[in-house]
Amino acid sequence: MPGAVVFGLAFGALISEVGLPLWLAPYASSTVTAGASQIAIVEALRQGAPALIAIATALVINARLALYSAAMAPIFAAFPRRWKAVLAYLMTDQSAAVSAFEAHRWPDPVRRRWFILGVSGPFVAIWIAGTAAGAILGPVIPDAWQIGFIVPLMFIAVMVPAIRSWPAVAAAGIAATVVLILKDLPYGLNVLIGALVGIAIASFVPDRAAPGGSAEPGRSPEPGPEGGQS
Amino acid sequence: MMTAFIVFTVAAAGTYLIRLSGIALLGGDRELSPRVRKALSLVAPAAMAAIIANSLFLDGGQWRAFGAWHLAAAVAVGVALWKRSMGWTLSAGAAVFAALLLAGL
Repeated sequence: MPGAVVFGLAFGALISEVGLPLWLAPYASSTVTAGASQIAIVEALRQGAPALIAIATALVINARLALYSAAMAPIFAAFPRRWKAVLAYLMTDQSAAVSAFEAHRWPDPVRRRWFILGVSGPFVAIWIAGTAAGAILGPVIPDAWQIGFIVPLMFIAVMVPAIRSWPAVAAAGIAATVVLILKDLPYGLNVLIGALVGIAIASFVPDRAAPGGSAEPGRSPEPGPEGGQS
Repeated sequence: MMTAFIVFTVAAAGTYLIRLSGIALLGGDRELSPRVRKALSLVAPAAMAAIIANSLFLDGGQWRAFGAWHLAAAVAVGVALWKRSMGWTLSAGAAVFAALLLAGL
């Protein structure tokens, strides 16, 4: 939960730093509601990327939500359609992880859906509020503070503790290397291509031997990624 | 500004469809294939590492001069591996970065 506040503040501050109108910060957070992709969009736009590339980058980053959605399918199975629609909107890295681990304690579908709403709703509300606060505070932060450092720091804090398999290590290493090799590509295309190449090659790395944990990758939502859903 | 608004709006619609995909299409006896599942599980590390590399080592398409960014990031990675905690990583990284800036790096 504190992660959502800090991440939200950071995104809001970033919006104001790159000179976009401040209302876009809470707008993005309440519609996209996925922090990493929102930051990636801002970075792409800052580099003058065409809209299509910015959107594609965001959707590639958010493709991981499809995994959570698949994990939620059996948990949400008995819910009415409008509940599924709302809970899908509120799905974040954190709420998917908590729902996957705790939902079995609520076998009754009515109680279960309220439980999941209670888990997901506050995250999103805090994310939006934090973003708005960041957008308001952003202009008062002096340039000398180099607030831009929050971008790599945030992602290090989210990604490194969550890496628990060799394929994940490979995906990260390959993606980072490709991004740097392709640094002269325009429009932040190096980020999009780096991520795709990392995913493609690492898919062939065998799953065995997980450093620092025995979690099987992909079996359930990785607990704890992304302080504010991204 | 208009571009940013459109990009956020379209990305929001696409992201919502992604969020809805499994809930709407799976369930019952239909499941994701292991290959798709594995590829999706690699999206987060690959995408985040790409963003980290791009924002940390590059600045406007050129190499960033070695300094506070690299050192503070290295400390953050070390703390992240040691504590496996987002809060500790953020605090340590921000504190070291602030100290390095104050020290004139």
